[in-house]
Amino acid sequence: MMRFTTLLRHPADWMTGHRAKTSVVLTSRVRLARNLAKAPFPGWARKKERQAVRCSLQGKLEAIPGMKDGFSHELCDLEPLQKQVLVERHLISREQAARSEGSGSVVNRKQTLSLMINEEDHLRIQAILPSLQLKEAFRLAHTIDQSLEKVVDFAIDPTLGYLTACPTNLGTGMRASSMLHLPGLVLSDQIGQVLKGINKLGLAVRGLYGEGTESLGNLYQISNQSTLGESEEEILDRLTKVIGDVALYELQARKKLMTEDPVMIRDRIGRAAGNLSYAHIITSKEALNHLSMLRLGADLQLLPADLVETCDRLFMETQPAHLQWMAGRKLEPEARDILRAQMIREQLQSSLPPAIDITGKES
Amino acid sequence: MFYTQVTDGKLKKFVLCESCAKKKGITTVDGLLMGGDLFGGSPPQTQIPDLIVDLNHEDCSACGFTLEDFRKVGRLGCPECYQVFSREITGRLSSMHKGGVHKGYLPEGLAKKQALESELAGLAAKLASAIEEERFEDAAIIRDEISEVEKSGKGVVGT
Repeated sequence: MMRFTTLLRHPADWMTGHRAKTSVVLTSRVRLARNLAKAPFPGWARKKERQAVRCSLQGKLEAIPGMKDGFSHELCDLEPLQKQVLVERHLISREQAARSEGSGSVVNRKQTLSLMINEEDHLRIQAILPSLQLKEAFRLAHTIDQSLEKVVDFAIDPTLGYLTACPTNLGTGMRASSMLHLPGLVLSDQIGQVLKGINKLGLAVRGLYGEGTESLGNLYQISNQSTLGESEEEILDRLTKVIGDVALYELQARKKLMTEDPVMIRDRIGRAAGNLSYAHIITSKEALNHLSMLRLGADLQLLPADLVETCDRLFMETQPAHLQWMAGRKLEPEARDILRAQMIREQLQSSLPPAIDITGKES
Repeated sequence: MFYTQVTDGKLKKFVLCESCAKKKGITTVDGLLMGGDLFGGSPPQTQIPDLIVDLNHEDCSACGFTLEDFRKVGRLGCPECYQVFSREITGRLSSMHKGGVHKGYLPEGLAKKQALESELAGLAAKLASAIEEERFEDAAIIRDEISEVEKSGKGVVGT
Protein backbone atom coordinates (compact mmCIF):
# COMPACT_ATOMS: atom_id res chain seq x y z
CA MET A 1 0.00 0.00 0.00
CA MET A 2 1.13 3.54 -0.76
CA ARG A 3 2.42 5.42 2.27
CA PHE A 4 1.37 8.96 3.11
CA THR A 5 4.92 10.23 2.64
CA THR A 6 5.14 8.59 -0.80
CA LEU A 7 1.87 10.20 -1.75
CA LEU A 8 3.21 13.59 -0.73
CA ARG A 9 6.55 13.17 -2.43
CA HIS A 10 5.00 12.40 -5.79
CA PRO A 11 2.35 14.98 -6.59
CA ALA A 12 0.04 14.28 -9.52
CA ASP A 13 0.62 15.85 -12.92
CA TRP A 14 -2.48 17.99 -12.46
CA MET A 15 -1.02 19.49 -9.28
CA THR A 16 2.23 20.67 -10.77
CA GLY A 17 1.23 22.12 -14.09
CA HIS A 18 2.18 19.41 -16.60
CA ARG A 19 -0.50 20.54 -18.92
CA ALA A 20 -1.24 21.54 -22.48
CA LYS A 21 -0.27 24.88 -24.00
CA THR A 22 -3.10 26.97 -22.64
CA SER A 23 -2.53 27.55 -18.97
CA VAL A 24 -5.81 29.38 -18.28
CA VAL A 25 -7.55 26.16 -17.31
CA LEU A 26 -5.55 24.50 -14.55
CA THR A 27 -7.58 21.39 -13.79
CA SER A 28 -10.74 19.50 -14.65
CA ARG A 29 -12.54 17.59 -11.97
CA VAL A 30 -15.56 15.28 -12.08
CA ARG A 31 -17.18 13.69 -9.08
CA LEU A 32 -19.98 11.17 -8.92
CA ALA A 33 -22.09 10.84 -5.76
CA ARG A 34 -23.22 7.30 -4.98
CA ASN A 35 -25.04 5.73 -2.05
CA LEU A 36 -25.76 2.24 -0.84
CA ALA A 37 -29.41 1.27 -1.29
CA LYS A 38 -30.07 0.07 2.22
CA ALA A 39 -28.14 2.37 4.53
CA PRO A 40 -28.86 5.78 6.07
CA PHE A 41 -26.85 8.63 4.54
CA PRO A 42 -23.60 9.47 6.42
CA GLY A 43 -24.94 12.70 7.93
CA TRP A 44 -27.85 10.88 9.56
CA ALA A 45 -26.26 7.49 10.22
CA ARG A 46 -25.10 6.38 13.67
CA LYS A 47 -21.42 5.80 14.30
CA LYS A 48 -21.88 2.04 13.98
CA GLU A 49 -23.71 2.38 10.68
CA ARG A 50 -21.03 4.69 9.28
CA GLN A 51 -18.38 2.17 10.31
CA ALA A 52 -20.30 -0.67 8.66
CA VAL A 53 -20.52 1.26 5.38
CA ARG A 54 -16.82 2.11 5.50
CA CYS A 55 -15.85 -1.48 6.21
CA SER A 56 -17.97 -2.82 3.38
CA LEU A 57 -16.71 -0.23 0.87
CA GLN A 58 -13.01 0.21 1.60
CA GLY A 59 -11.98 -3.31 0.60
CA LYS A 60 -14.09 -3.23 -2.55
CA LEU A 61 -12.55 0.09 -3.57
CA GLU A 62 -9.00 -1.13 -2.98
CA ALA A 63 -9.73 -4.16 -5.16
CA ILE A 64 -10.73 -2.16 -8.26
CA PRO A 65 -8.04 -2.74 -10.91
CA GLY A 66 -7.07 0.94 -11.29
CA MET A 67 -6.85 1.51 -7.54
CA LYS A 68 -4.46 -1.26 -6.58
CA ASP A 69 -1.36 -0.35 -4.55
CA GLY A 70 -2.79 3.10 -3.94
CA PHE A 71 -3.25 5.10 -0.76
CA SER A 72 -6.02 3.77 1.46
CA HIS A 73 -6.83 4.85 4.99
CA GLU A 74 -9.56 5.37 7.48
CA LEU A 75 -9.39 9.10 8.15
CA CYS A 76 -9.36 8.53 11.93
CA ASP A 77 -5.92 6.97 11.54
CA LEU A 78 -4.43 10.15 10.10
CA GLU A 79 -3.08 13.12 12.03
CA PRO A 80 -5.11 16.35 11.71
CA LEU A 81 -2.20 17.84 9.76
CA GLN A 82 -2.13 14.95 7.30
CA LYS A 83 -5.84 15.36 6.68
CA GLN A 84 -5.34 19.07 6.11
CA VAL A 85 -2.65 18.32 3.53
CA LEU A 86 -5.06 16.01 1.70
CA VAL A 87 -7.68 18.78 1.74
CA GLU A 88 -5.15 21.23 0.27
CA ARG A 89 -4.49 18.69 -2.48
CA HIS A 90 -8.24 18.33 -3.12
CA LEU A 91 -8.00 14.59 -2.41
CA ILE A 92 -10.50 14.74 0.46
CA SER A 93 -13.03 17.46 1.26
CA ARG A 94 -13.05 19.82 4.22
CA GLU A 95 -16.33 18.32 5.35
CA GLN A 96 -14.85 14.83 5.34
CA ALA A 97 -11.76 15.90 7.25
CA ALA A 98 -13.92 17.53 9.90
CA ARG A 99 -16.00 14.44 10.52
CA SER A 100 -13.52 11.66 10.05
CA GLU A 101 -15.04 8.90 12.19
CA GLY A 102 -16.07 6.16 9.79
CA SER A 103 -14.72 8.12 6.82
CA GLY A 104 -12.19 6.71 4.43
CA SER A 105 -10.02 7.73 1.53
CA VAL A 106 -8.72 5.60 -1.33
CA VAL A 107 -6.42 7.32 -3.85
CA ASN A 108 -4.72 5.71 -6.85
CA ARG A 109 -0.95 6.03 -7.25
CA LYS A 110 -1.20 8.67 -9.96
CA GLN A 111 -3.58 10.64 -7.71
CA THR A 112 -5.99 11.13 -10.58
CA LEU A 113 -8.70 9.18 -8.78
CA SER A 114 -9.82 9.86 -5.25
CA LEU A 115 -12.61 7.82 -3.68
CA MET A 116 -14.13 9.37 -0.57
CA ILE A 117 -16.10 7.15 1.79
CA ASN A 118 -18.75 8.73 4.00
CA GLU A 119 -18.44 12.27 2.83
CA GLU A 120 -21.88 13.82 2.42
CA ASP A 121 -22.75 10.65 0.50
CA HIS A 122 -21.55 7.09 1.12
CA LEU A 123 -19.20 7.33 -1.79
CA ARG A 124 -17.83 10.08 -3.94
CA ILE A 125 -15.81 9.06 -6.96
CA GLN A 126 -13.57 11.93 -7.99
CA ALA A 127 -11.33 12.15 -11.03
CA ILE A 128 -8.96 15.09 -11.64
CA LEU A 129 -6.91 15.81 -14.74
CA PRO A 130 -4.83 18.79 -15.86
CA SER A 131 -6.24 21.46 -18.26
CA LEU A 132 -9.68 21.31 -19.86
CA GLN A 133 -10.43 17.57 -19.97
CA LEU A 134 -13.83 17.22 -18.35
CA LYS A 135 -14.99 14.38 -20.58
CA GLU A 136 -11.79 12.43 -20.02
CA ALA A 137 -12.15 12.95 -16.28
CA PHE A 138 -15.75 11.74 -16.46
CA ARG A 139 -14.64 8.63 -18.33
CA LEU A 140 -12.14 7.85 -15.57
CA ALA A 141 -14.76 8.20 -12.84
CA HIS A 142 -17.34 6.31 -14.90
CA THR A 143 -15.03 3.30 -15.25
CA ILE A 144 -14.74 3.09 -11.47
CA ASP A 145 -18.50 3.50 -11.13
CA GLN A 146 -19.12 0.65 -13.58
CA SER A 147 -16.76 -1.77 -11.89
CA LEU A 148 -18.29 -0.94 -8.51
CA GLU A 149 -21.92 -1.39 -9.54
CA LYS A 150 -21.18 -5.07 -10.11
CA VAL A 151 -20.37 -5.56 -6.44
CA VAL A 152 -22.32 -2.79 -4.71
CA ASP A 153 -26.09 -2.23 -4.67
CA PHE A 154 -26.42 1.52 -5.30
CA ALA A 155 -29.53 3.51 -4.41
CA ILE A 156 -31.18 4.30 -7.75
CA ASP A 157 -34.68 5.40 -8.65
CA PRO A 158 -35.69 5.07 -12.33
CA THR A 159 -37.18 8.58 -12.31
CA LEU A 160 -34.86 10.44 -9.95
CA GLY A 161 -31.68 8.61 -10.93
CA TYR A 162 -28.98 8.19 -8.29
CA LEU A 163 -30.37 9.05 -4.86
CA THR A 164 -28.17 11.38 -2.84
CA ALA A 165 -28.18 12.82 0.67
CA CYS A 166 -28.92 16.26 -0.74
CA PRO A 167 -31.55 16.59 -3.48
CA THR A 168 -29.28 19.09 -5.25
CA ASN A 169 -27.14 16.13 -6.41
CA LEU A 170 -29.97 13.85 -7.60
CA GLY A 171 -29.99 12.26 -11.03
CA THR A 172 -26.51 11.89 -12.43
CA GLY A 173 -24.94 12.68 -9.05
CA MET A 174 -22.30 14.39 -11.16
CA ARG A 175 -20.56 17.63 -10.37
CA ALA A 176 -18.00 18.65 -12.97
CA SER A 177 -15.75 21.64 -12.53
CA SER A 178 -12.65 23.34 -13.83
CA MET A 179 -10.24 25.64 -12.07
CA LEU A 180 -9.41 28.75 -14.10
CA HIS A 181 -6.76 31.42 -13.68
CA LEU A 182 -8.35 34.70 -14.77
CA PRO A 183 -6.03 37.63 -13.97
CA GLY A 184 -6.72 39.34 -17.32
CA LEU A 185 -10.46 39.51 -16.67
CA VAL A 186 -9.84 40.74 -13.13
CA LEU A 187 -7.33 43.45 -14.14
CA SER A 188 -9.58 44.68 -16.94
CA ASP A 189 -12.59 44.79 -14.61
CA GLN A 190 -14.58 42.39 -16.74
CA ILE A 191 -14.71 39.55 -14.23
CA GLY A 192 -18.00 40.63 -12.63
CA GLN A 193 -19.74 40.65 -15.96
CA VAL A 194 -18.34 37.26 -16.94
CA LEU A 195 -19.32 35.69 -13.60
CA LYS A 196 -22.83 37.07 -13.97
CA GLY A 197 -23.05 35.55 -17.44
CA ILE A 198 -21.91 32.17 -16.14
CA ASN A 199 -24.52 32.27 -13.38
CA LYS A 200 -27.21 33.11 -15.91
CA LEU A 201 -26.35 29.93 -17.80
CA GLY A 202 -27.18 27.94 -14.68
CA LEU A 203 -23.55 27.27 -13.81
CA ALA A 204 -21.86 28.05 -10.50
CA VAL A 205 -18.64 29.98 -9.87
CA ARG A 206 -16.67 29.53 -6.66
CA GLY A 207 -13.29 30.27 -5.15
CA LEU A 208 -10.30 27.98 -4.68
CA TYR A 209 -11.75 25.52 -2.16
CA GLY A 210 -15.30 25.23 -3.39
CA GLU A 211 -18.50 26.29 -1.78
CA GLY A 212 -18.34 29.44 0.30
CA THR A 213 -14.69 30.21 -0.30
CA GLU A 214 -13.40 33.51 -1.62
CA SER A 215 -11.40 33.78 -4.78
CA LEU A 216 -7.68 34.08 -4.14
CA GLY A 217 -4.94 34.38 -6.71
CA ASN A 218 -7.52 35.10 -9.42
CA LEU A 219 -8.48 31.43 -9.35
CA TYR A 220 -12.09 30.52 -10.08
CA GLN A 221 -13.94 27.23 -10.16
CA ILE A 222 -16.77 26.85 -12.65
CA SER A 223 -19.17 23.94 -12.22
CA ASN A 224 -22.60 22.65 -13.18
CA GLN A 225 -25.41 23.22 -10.75
CA SER A 226 -28.18 21.06 -12.15
CA THR A 227 -27.67 17.30 -12.01
CA LEU A 228 -31.18 16.09 -12.93
CA GLY A 229 -32.99 16.34 -16.25
CA GLU A 230 -29.92 16.27 -18.47
CA SER A 231 -27.54 13.47 -19.39
CA GLU A 232 -23.90 13.53 -18.30
CA GLU A 233 -22.90 14.25 -21.86
CA GLU A 234 -25.21 17.24 -22.20
CA ILE A 235 -23.91 18.70 -18.94
CA LEU A 236 -20.26 18.15 -19.90
CA ASP A 237 -20.75 19.57 -23.40
CA ARG A 238 -22.32 22.75 -22.08
CA LEU A 239 -19.72 23.16 -19.37
CA THR A 240 -16.80 22.49 -21.71
CA LYS A 241 -18.15 25.06 -24.16
CA VAL A 242 -18.63 27.74 -21.48
CA ILE A 243 -15.22 27.12 -19.90
CA GLY A 244 -13.58 27.23 -23.32
CA ASP A 245 -15.32 30.55 -23.99
CA VAL A 246 -14.23 32.01 -20.65
CA ALA A 247 -10.64 30.93 -21.35
CA LEU A 248 -10.86 32.68 -24.69
CA TYR A 249 -12.22 35.88 -23.09
CA GLU A 250 -9.32 35.73 -20.66
CA LEU A 251 -6.76 35.51 -23.47
CA GLN A 252 -8.47 38.37 -25.32
CA ALA A 253 -8.47 40.48 -22.16
CA ARG A 254 -4.74 39.88 -21.71
CA LYS A 255 -4.04 40.82 -25.29
CA LYS A 256 -6.07 43.99 -24.96
CA LEU A 257 -4.33 44.94 -21.71
CA MET A 258 -0.92 44.42 -23.27
CA THR A 259 -1.88 46.70 -26.17
CA GLU A 260 -3.64 49.38 -24.20
CA ASP A 261 -1.86 49.43 -20.88
CA PRO A 262 1.41 47.49 -21.07
CA VAL A 263 3.07 49.65 -18.41
CA MET A 264 0.40 48.80 -15.84
CA ILE A 265 0.76 45.06 -16.57
CA ARG A 266 4.58 45.20 -16.40
CA ASP A 267 4.33 47.18 -13.19
CA ARG A 268 2.04 44.60 -11.58
CA ILE A 269 4.18 41.67 -12.64
CA GLY A 270 7.42 43.42 -11.71
CA ARG A 271 6.14 44.34 -8.25
CA ALA A 272 4.93 40.79 -7.69
CA ALA A 273 8.33 39.40 -8.72
CA GLY A 274 10.04 41.92 -6.46
CA ASN A 275 7.88 41.15 -3.47
CA LEU A 276 8.20 37.41 -3.86
CA SER A 277 11.97 37.60 -4.43
CA TYR A 278 12.72 39.76 -1.42
CA ALA A 279 9.92 39.32 1.13
CA HIS A 280 10.79 37.65 4.45
CA ILE A 281 7.25 37.50 5.81
CA ILE A 282 4.36 36.67 3.53
CA THR A 283 0.79 35.50 4.22
CA SER A 284 -0.76 32.83 2.04
CA LYS A 285 -3.23 35.34 0.63
CA GLU A 286 -0.47 37.75 -0.39
CA ALA A 287 1.61 34.91 -1.81
CA LEU A 288 -1.28 33.60 -3.91
CA ASN A 289 -2.02 37.02 -5.35
CA HIS A 290 1.64 37.72 -6.25
CA LEU A 291 2.15 34.22 -7.64
CA SER A 292 -0.88 34.82 -9.81
CA MET A 293 0.83 37.89 -11.33
CA LEU A 294 4.07 35.97 -11.80
CA ARG A 295 2.17 33.21 -13.57
CA LEU A 296 0.57 35.83 -15.83
CA GLY A 297 4.03 37.21 -16.58
CA ALA A 298 5.22 33.78 -17.66
CA ASP A 299 2.13 33.27 -19.83
CA LEU A 300 2.74 36.65 -21.47
CA GLN A 301 6.37 35.65 -22.09
CA LEU A 302 7.62 38.53 -20.00
CA LEU A 303 9.14 35.91 -17.71
CA PRO A 304 10.56 32.42 -18.42
CA ALA A 305 7.81 30.01 -19.46
CA ASP A 306 8.74 27.34 -16.90
CA LEU A 307 7.70 29.74 -14.15
CA VAL A 308 4.11 28.62 -14.76
CA GLU A 309 5.02 25.24 -13.34
CA THR A 310 6.94 26.76 -10.44
CA CYS A 311 3.96 28.97 -9.60
CA ASP A 312 1.53 26.05 -9.68
CA ARG A 313 3.78 24.05 -7.40
CA LEU A 314 4.14 26.99 -5.02
CA PHE A 315 0.35 27.55 -5.05
CA MET A 316 0.16 24.10 -3.49
CA GLU A 317 3.29 23.89 -1.35
CA THR A 318 2.94 27.24 0.39
CA GLN A 319 -0.46 26.40 1.84
CA PRO A 320 -0.52 26.18 5.64
CA ALA A 321 -0.67 22.41 6.09
CA HIS A 322 1.93 21.73 3.40
CA LEU A 323 4.35 24.15 5.08
CA GLN A 324 3.89 22.53 8.47
CA TRP A 325 4.24 19.06 7.02
CA MET A 326 7.51 20.09 5.43
CA ALA A 327 8.72 21.72 8.64
CA GLY A 328 7.81 18.55 10.48
CA ARG A 329 5.93 20.35 13.22
CA LYS A 330 3.00 22.58 13.98
CA LEU A 331 3.73 26.24 13.20
CA GLU A 332 1.97 29.39 14.32
CA PRO A 333 0.74 31.62 11.48
CA GLU A 334 3.68 34.06 11.95
CA ALA A 335 6.23 31.27 11.67
CA ARG A 336 4.44 29.94 8.60
CA ASP A 337 4.62 33.35 6.94
CA ILE A 338 8.40 33.40 7.47
CA LEU A 339 8.88 29.86 6.18
CA ARG A 340 6.62 30.57 3.19
CA ALA A 341 8.65 33.64 2.23
CA GLN A 342 11.89 31.69 2.54
CA MET A 343 10.62 28.86 0.37
CA ILE A 344 9.40 31.21 -2.34
CA ARG A 345 12.69 33.16 -2.35
CA GLU A 346 14.68 29.96 -2.72
CA GLN A 347 12.49 28.61 -5.52
CA LEU A 348 12.49 31.85 -7.45
CA GLN A 349 16.24 32.36 -7.18
CA SER A 350 16.77 29.53 -9.60
CA SER A 351 13.72 30.26 -11.75
CA LEU A 352 13.87 34.01 -12.10
CA PRO A 353 16.82 35.24 -14.15
CA PRO A 354 18.89 37.89 -12.38
CA ALA A 355 17.92 40.51 -14.96
CA ILE A 356 14.18 40.16 -15.23
CA ASP A 357 12.96 41.31 -18.58
CA ILE A 358 10.13 43.45 -17.37
CA THR A 359 12.00 46.66 -17.84
CA GLY A 360 9.52 48.00 -20.38
CA LYS A 361 12.00 47.90 -23.22
CA GLU A 362 10.25 46.78 -26.40
CA SER A 363 11.88 43.65 -27.71
CA MET B 1 -53.11 9.97 -2.36
CA PHE B 2 -51.94 8.67 1.01
CA TYR B 3 -54.12 6.24 2.91
CA THR B 4 -53.50 4.81 6.31
CA GLN B 5 -55.54 1.92 7.59
CA VAL B 6 -55.45 0.76 11.17
CA THR B 7 -56.71 -2.77 11.71
CA ASP B 8 -56.44 -4.55 15.02
CA GLY B 9 -53.95 -1.99 16.17
CA LYS B 10 -51.74 -2.63 13.14
CA LEU B 11 -50.83 0.28 10.90
CA LYS B 12 -50.94 -0.16 7.14
CA LYS B 13 -49.91 2.68 4.86
CA PHE B 14 -50.78 2.91 1.21
CA VAL B 15 -49.88 5.36 -1.50
CA LEU B 16 -52.43 5.45 -4.31
CA CYS B 17 -52.39 7.40 -7.52
CA GLU B 18 -55.52 9.41 -8.23
CA SER B 19 -57.03 6.99 -10.71
CA CYS B 20 -56.42 3.95 -8.48
CA ALA B 21 -57.95 5.82 -5.58
CA LYS B 22 -60.99 6.57 -7.71
CA LYS B 23 -61.36 2.91 -8.59
CA LYS B 24 -61.26 2.02 -4.91
CA GLY B 25 -63.94 4.59 -4.28
CA ILE B 26 -61.76 7.12 -2.49
CA THR B 27 -62.15 10.45 -4.14
CA THR B 28 -62.30 12.82 -1.25
CA VAL B 29 -61.70 12.73 2.44
CA ASP B 30 -65.44 12.07 2.82
CA GLY B 31 -65.20 9.06 0.56
CA LEU B 32 -62.36 7.79 2.67
CA LEU B 33 -64.25 8.27 5.88
CA MET B 34 -67.05 6.04 4.64
CA GLY B 35 -64.54 3.28 5.22
CA GLY B 36 -65.00 0.03 3.39
CA ASP B 37 -62.58 -2.73 2.90
CA LEU B 38 -59.99 -1.78 0.35
CA PHE B 39 -57.29 -4.28 0.77
CA GLY B 40 -58.89 -7.36 2.29
CA GLY B 41 -59.34 -8.09 5.95
CA SER B 42 -61.84 -6.36 8.17
CA PRO B 43 -62.76 -2.71 7.73
CA PRO B 44 -60.81 -0.03 9.57
CA GLN B 45 -61.82 0.13 13.20
CA THR B 46 -60.14 3.27 14.30
CA GLN B 47 -61.66 6.44 15.58
CA ILE B 48 -62.37 8.68 12.65
CA PRO B 49 -59.96 11.51 13.55
CA ASP B 50 -57.04 9.07 13.63
CA LEU B 51 -57.75 7.75 10.20
CA ILE B 52 -56.04 10.53 8.31
CA VAL B 53 -52.42 10.83 9.15
CA ASP B 54 -51.09 14.33 9.23
CA LEU B 55 -48.61 14.06 6.38
CA ASN B 56 -46.46 16.79 7.85
CA HIS B 57 -45.56 14.53 10.69
CA GLU B 58 -45.02 11.29 8.92
CA ASP B 59 -41.54 9.93 9.62
CA CYS B 60 -39.46 7.69 7.41
CA SER B 61 -40.07 4.17 8.71
CA ALA B 62 -36.66 3.03 7.45
CA CYS B 63 -34.47 5.58 9.24
CA GLY B 64 -36.70 7.74 11.48
CA PHE B 65 -36.00 10.96 9.61
CA THR B 66 -38.81 13.53 9.82
CA LEU B 67 -40.13 16.11 7.42
CA GLU B 68 -39.12 18.70 9.96
CA ASP B 69 -35.52 17.44 9.80
CA PHE B 70 -35.58 17.77 6.04
CA ARG B 71 -36.91 21.31 6.21
CA LYS B 72 -34.23 22.19 8.70
CA VAL B 73 -31.14 20.72 7.00
CA GLY B 74 -32.20 20.34 3.36
CA ARG B 75 -30.79 16.83 3.26
CA LEU B 76 -32.43 13.44 3.69
CA GLY B 77 -31.90 10.55 6.07
CA CYS B 78 -31.73 7.60 3.70
CA PRO B 79 -32.67 6.58 0.13
CA GLU B 80 -36.11 5.49 1.37
CA CYS B 81 -36.86 9.09 2.45
CA TYR B 82 -37.32 10.04 -1.20
CA GLN B 83 -40.51 7.95 -1.25
CA VAL B 84 -41.78 9.15 2.09
CA PHE B 85 -41.24 12.87 1.47
CA SER B 86 -41.74 12.75 -2.28
CA ARG B 87 -44.34 15.52 -2.37
CA GLU B 88 -42.16 17.95 -0.47
CA ILE B 89 -39.08 17.06 -2.53
CA THR B 90 -40.79 17.18 -5.93
CA GLY B 91 -41.93 20.71 -5.18
CA ARG B 92 -38.34 21.82 -4.70
CA LEU B 93 -36.73 20.10 -7.66
CA SER B 94 -37.67 22.67 -10.27
CA SER B 95 -35.66 25.36 -8.52
CA MET B 96 -32.58 23.09 -8.35
CA HIS B 97 -32.52 21.25 -11.65
CA LYS B 98 -33.15 21.53 -15.38
CA GLY B 99 -35.81 18.84 -15.21
CA GLY B 100 -37.49 16.38 -12.89
CA VAL B 101 -36.67 13.14 -14.68
CA HIS B 102 -33.29 11.43 -14.82
CA LYS B 103 -31.86 11.34 -18.34
CA GLY B 104 -28.35 10.19 -17.54
CA TYR B 105 -26.57 6.91 -17.14
CA LEU B 106 -28.27 3.93 -15.52
CA PRO B 107 -26.69 0.52 -14.93
CA GLU B 108 -27.47 -1.81 -17.83
CA GLY B 109 -30.14 -3.97 -16.16
CA LEU B 110 -31.96 -0.96 -14.82
CA ALA B 111 -31.86 0.92 -18.11
CA LYS B 112 -33.38 -2.09 -19.91
CA LYS B 113 -36.01 -2.43 -17.25
CA GLN B 114 -36.93 1.22 -17.59
CA ALA B 115 -37.15 1.03 -21.38
CA LEU B 116 -39.35 -2.03 -21.04
CA GLU B 117 -41.64 -0.36 -18.55
CA SER B 118 -42.13 2.71 -20.67
CA GLU B 119 -42.84 0.52 -23.73
CA LEU B 120 -45.42 -1.45 -21.76
CA ALA B 121 -47.01 1.73 -20.44
CA GLY B 122 -47.33 3.06 -23.99
CA LEU B 123 -48.94 -0.19 -25.18
CA ALA B 124 -51.31 -0.26 -22.23
CA ALA B 125 -52.51 3.22 -23.10
CA LYS B 126 -53.03 2.19 -26.73
CA LEU B 127 -54.98 -0.85 -25.58
CA ALA B 128 -57.21 1.23 -23.37
CA SER B 129 -58.09 3.65 -26.13
CA ALA B 130 -58.69 0.81 -28.59
CA ILE B 131 -61.16 -0.76 -26.17
CA GLU B 132 -62.82 2.53 -25.48
CA GLU B 133 -63.27 3.13 -29.20
CA GLU B 134 -64.49 -0.45 -29.61
CA ARG B 135 -61.71 -1.33 -32.05
CA PHE B 136 -61.56 -4.86 -30.72
CA GLU B 137 -59.41 -6.31 -33.49
CA ASP B 138 -56.75 -3.69 -32.79
CA ALA B 139 -57.09 -4.39 -29.10
CA ALA B 140 -56.38 -8.07 -29.66
CA ILE B 141 -53.26 -7.26 -31.65
CA ILE B 142 -52.03 -4.87 -28.97
CA ARG B 143 -52.73 -7.42 -26.26
CA ASP B 144 -50.57 -9.96 -28.12
CA GLU B 145 -47.86 -7.33 -28.47
CA ILE B 146 -47.95 -6.71 -24.74
CA SER B 147 -47.52 -10.36 -23.87
CA GLU B 148 -44.71 -10.57 -26.42
CA VAL B 149 -42.88 -7.64 -24.82
CA GLU B 150 -43.44 -9.07 -21.35
CA LYS B 151 -42.00 -12.38 -22.46
CA SER B 152 -38.92 -10.72 -23.95
CA GLY B 153 -38.34 -8.86 -20.70
CA LYS B 154 -38.30 -11.96 -18.53
CA GLY B 155 -34.52 -12.04 -18.47
CA VAL B 156 -34.12 -8.42 -17.45
CA VAL B 157 -32.94 -7.81 -13.92
CA GLY B 158 -35.68 -7.01 -11.47
CA THR B 159 -38.69 -7.71 -13.69
